[in-house]
Amino acid sequence: MLKVDNITVFYGAIQALKGISFHVDQGEIVTLIGANGAGKTSILQAISGIIPCKTGDINFLERNINKTPAHERVSMGLVQVPEGRRVFSRMTVLENLEMGAYARPASLKLDDDLERVFEHFPRLKERRKQHAGTLSGGEQQMLAIGRALMGRPKLMMMDEPSMGLSPILVQEIFSIIREINASGTTVLLVEQNAHMALSTANRAYVLETGNIVKEGSAKALLADDDVRKAYLGN
Amino acid sequence: MNKKAKAYVLNILALLILFFSLSILISSGVINNYFSGILVTIGIAVIMAASLNLTTGLLGQLALGHAGFMSVGAYVAAIITKSLSMDFSLSLPLALLAGGLAAALCGLLIGIPALRLKGDYLAIITLGFGEIIRVVIENMSITGGPGGLSRITRMSRAFSPEVKASSAVQYAIVFWIMVVIITSIFTLGRSRHGRAIISIRENEVAAEATGIPTTYYKLFAFTLAAFFAGIAGGLYAHQTGLLTAKTFGFSKSIEYLVMVVLGGMGSITGSIISAVVLVSLPEVLRGFSEWRLVIYSTLLIVMMLFRPKGLMGTREFSLLTAWDTADRHIKKVFKLEQRPTKMPFVPRYDVWENSLVLETKALGISFGGLKAAEDIDIRLMNNEIVGLIGPNGAGKTTVFNLLTGVYLPTQGDIILLGKSILGKQTHKITQDGIARTFQNIRLFKSMTVLENIKVAFHTRMQYSALSGIVRDSHYASEERGIDLRARELLKVFNMEDVADAKADGLPYGQQRKLEICRALACNPKVLLLDEPAAGMNPIETQELMQTIKTIRTRFSVAILLIEHDMRLVMGICERIYVLNYGRVIAQGNPESIRNNPEVVAAYLGTPDKVAPAPGGAEHVES
Amino acid sequence: MVLFLNQLINGLHVGSIYALIALGYTMVYGIVKLINFAHGDILMVGAYTAVVLVTMLDLPIPLVIVLVILICVLFGVLIERVAYKPLRSSPRISSLITAIGVSMLLQNSAQLIFSPTPKPYPIVLNVPPFKLAGLQMGFTTTLTILISIFLMIILQVFIAKTKLGKSMRAVSEDMEASKLMGVNVNNTITMTFAIGCALAGIGSVLYGLAYPSVSPSLGALPGLKAFIAAVLGGIGIIPGAMLGGFIMGIAESMTKAYISSQLSDAVVYGILIIVLLFKPSGLLGKRTREKV
Repeated sequence: MLKVDNITVFYGAIQALKGISFHVDQGEIVTLIGANGAGKTSILQAISGIIPCKTGDINFLERNINKTPAHERVSMGLVQVPEGRRVFSRMTVLENLEMGAYARPASLKLDDDLERVFEHFPRLKERRKQHAGTLSGGEQQMLAIGRALMGRPKLMMMDEPSMGLSPILVQEIFSIIREINASGTTVLLVEQNAHMALSTANRAYVLETGNIVKEGSAKALLADDDVRKAYLGN
Repeated sequence: MNKKAKAYVLNILALLILFFSLSILISSGVINNYFSGILVTIGIAVIMAASLNLTTGLLGQLALGHAGFMSVGAYVAAIITKSLSMDFSLSLPLALLAGGLAAALCGLLIGIPALRLKGDYLAIITLGFGEIIRVVIENMSITGGPGGLSRITRMSRAFSPEVKASSAVQYAIVFWIMVVIITSIFTLGRSRHGRAIISIRENEVAAEATGIPTTYYKLFAFTLAAFFAGIAGGLYAHQTGLLTAKTFGFSKSIEYLVMVVLGGMGSITGSIISAVVLVSLPEVLRGFSEWRLVIYSTLLIVMMLFRPKGLMGTREFSLLTAWDTADRHIKKVFKLEQRPTKMPFVPRYDVWENSLVLETKALGISFGGLKAAEDIDIRLMNNEIVGLIGPNGAGKTTVFNLLTGVYLPTQGDIILLGKSILGKQTHKITQDGIARTFQNIRLFKSMTVLENIKVAFHTRMQYSALSGIVRDSHYASEERGIDLRARELLKVFNMEDVADAKADGLPYGQQRKLEICRALACNPKVLLLDEPAAGMNPIETQELMQTIKTIRTRFSVAILLIEHDMRLVMGICERIYVLNYGRVIAQGNPESIRNNPEVVAAYLGTPDKVAPAPGGAEHVES
Repeated sequence: MVLFLNQLINGLHVGSIYALIALGYTMVYGIVKLINFAHGDILMVGAYTAVVLVTMLDLPIPLVIVLVILICVLFGVLIERVAYKPLRSSPRISSLITAIGVSMLLQNSAQLIFSPTPKPYPIVLNVPPFKLAGLQMGFTTTLTILISIFLMIILQVFIAKTKLGKSMRAVSEDMEASKLMGVNVNNTITMTFAIGCALAGIGSVLYGLAYPSVSPSLGALPGLKAFIAAVLGGIGIIPGAMLGGFIMGIAESMTKAYISSQLSDAVVYGILIIVLLFKPSGLLGKRTREKV
């Protein structure tokens, strides 16, 4: 579904990504793990079109999207749940969810999608008229995911969904990720919590200062000593 | 003669050549009255631009009413020379000084209310004050009302019956006053007071937390800038001989703002260059008469599109920066006596073993009806490492903000070393002995690593702003002292080799270390660390644990640590407080916390999901 | 009493024009955090357009009004694309200076093309005043107030209910997150400028009806006052711009009538300062606390 081929990204003179290639197939949960500063967020920003790639190709659904502007990628079904939630705090929960469906043709009815999101996240249904800024961290994460779901994504990319959440909430979020995947959405997951990520994903790539240094099935990497030492501690 | 001394001498020579050559040309009549007037206008513009740069570039606050200070200085100076019957060469300096002081007073009076606002609102309110000054002056009779003040003694006529000779004196006066003012602003910027001002621009919250009295320095910079603008106004009045309040309106303030931005905010040399260019440009374009303003505005737009940071950005021209080190070397070259290095007074290690350092008694705060923290009783003993954990929104950072005076508690008390610090301002609390780091790293980004540390030493240094400007022995010895101390401190953290790197160029883990290092440089008795391991991988976290342990042994300080990373908390804390919904729900050693069912339920999850003791095998939920 | 009411109505009259211009300032500030110093000069552009279309091309008035609005929108969009868009990622002060440059360019070009001599505004309303509750109501005054209020209500509804309005709110809050929702940020920003300039275009007609002298610096003073009005109400907040505009207008007209004409400026700035000292984010502004 998504094929990234040898992309490089520069911030001024600093090279953040040095030639990244990976792919995500339909129905999978793929995760990218790595240290802070390894380039994980840069990859998602590049795929979403927020930052440009100097070289390389990004193919989504067999189409080359290098030149496709960011908002068009969203209408193709490539949706990101950004790092730090980034909900629109001055808008209500309902309005945030409606924004999630922004890219979809106006004719489609939103009610079914809203119902489905509320099924995943009953707490959001309770708070649907509240301003998003008044929600707690965990509820905002749920809202961010729900908002992404409203766009009926073909590929949902998530940037560090566990950040700043307590262990209980992290468990909850990850089980929801599994649910979403089970109902047919492909997931690309970038995580600092390598533990949770590798226990949830099918396949994984390990990033280190702008390069992919290891790849394989999540189970194998979980047991891999090198990865363990570098990312799970001794 | 070594290279640095050469640069210093070159500097002085360049100034002298510039001065004398133009002076001769003026007094011989080669440069006629009109062009010498332009040179004077340039000099005044340089002073205005440099002084505005103090507020807008160094302090980082956009000010839109700067011409108002110029007008106050102009009118006060003019009224004084008109009313005093003494010789002009005596009344002029008095008048200029009085004008400057009057403008400074206005700056102070305006600054006190205005500087409480931020960003664009501050800009608007200074605009409002500038306009009010104009309207008030226009409606006072002593200032001549709307008709203005006329027949003010002109420097180009007063010193000699010959216009050429008098113009030369006028040029000399303006030139040397300009040199003194811009040098003062430059050396002030490099002194500890300048560092304090720049740190406010970089990150006001962090500056306050590092012990800098931010309100004082904002007022200081604003008032000093007004002072210089007042002097410029006085010079202007005695150049033109005629004043109307309308000249000092909003458009004049904008004129100088444009100079500052085009030259580069924070760069004094940039301001000089752009003042010279922007005053001369309309003259050069005079030939195009009707088109010149159109060309001028187009050039302005083009300039901003292609060099948005201004000509010099925040850099200074290299000849002048040699001044710094040249100063030291000049003394060596001429074998001037080196006074013994006076080390700054660093009152450390005056806490005795196992004593109570910090205690809170039923501390709490409500925002409206919401009780963000309630009945918090925390005790910290010297040399302890204590953890503060709890779910998101439990109130952990609120507690830190209460301890550091960012929030005023609505209940309870905070006792530091036996004395209550309730209601004290943040920078005072830092000086008393509580230092902190922040959840989102707050470094002074465009300063170097070393400078970030030096800001923390500010409150334990003593040399005055005047000392900093003239660079006397107090300045030299104290600066040398803290330079050594700062490098010493960086060595403890293995960062001595990045001392001169810019703070925002460091990798994430080192930025965190720098923030902790800076907090330690404040010489605290209590160190508050807010999620220091956020965003770190397990290896970096291990390093951090080592760093914290090192701090505890080498610095005799109590550490209170907020964290989500259970590995870190359980691995390093001797005691842990658990917060939930603003209350302490449990406290004790790691073992007891891990097994406390209330804690487990609220936060840690069921037992087999808890992080293992360090060294144990991982439990993985399959 | 009659004098008071008359001054109040005068104040509402000039205040509604300030409000229309203030809306443009506040919408642009809300979305790109730029103080568009050139916005007041759009008023001048609209006025001169009317002059040209009527005196030189002799077009019918309704067409002229439509064209004035279109030309103002065109100018606004052009300025945004050429001068402001390239500086979106640069420090904000650079955009501020560029805006100042654009303002100067507009004024000086007008001076070059049309000469500084004032020209009469070509549209005149020759409807006699009518009596309402014992007061003399000028037709222009009533029209101005009603049209302004009507436009403001439409704008509010537009922002709150339509998709474009929601995208404007989203982009004002978080540009990057909006991109991730599929919002075409560039178009949204351009639309914001366009709407602001359309309002200024209508404002220029209403202004010209009240003050029939057209000169290159026509937009400078009303622009500044409208900007102050926007800040007074809380910059970035649409109802705030409306409130601020009316307050400015009433304060100005009251001061001119009861205190002194010269001091009206000072009083207006004085009100601003007092408001900001007690409500630092403006009357309707929300205190955004920096999260420590």
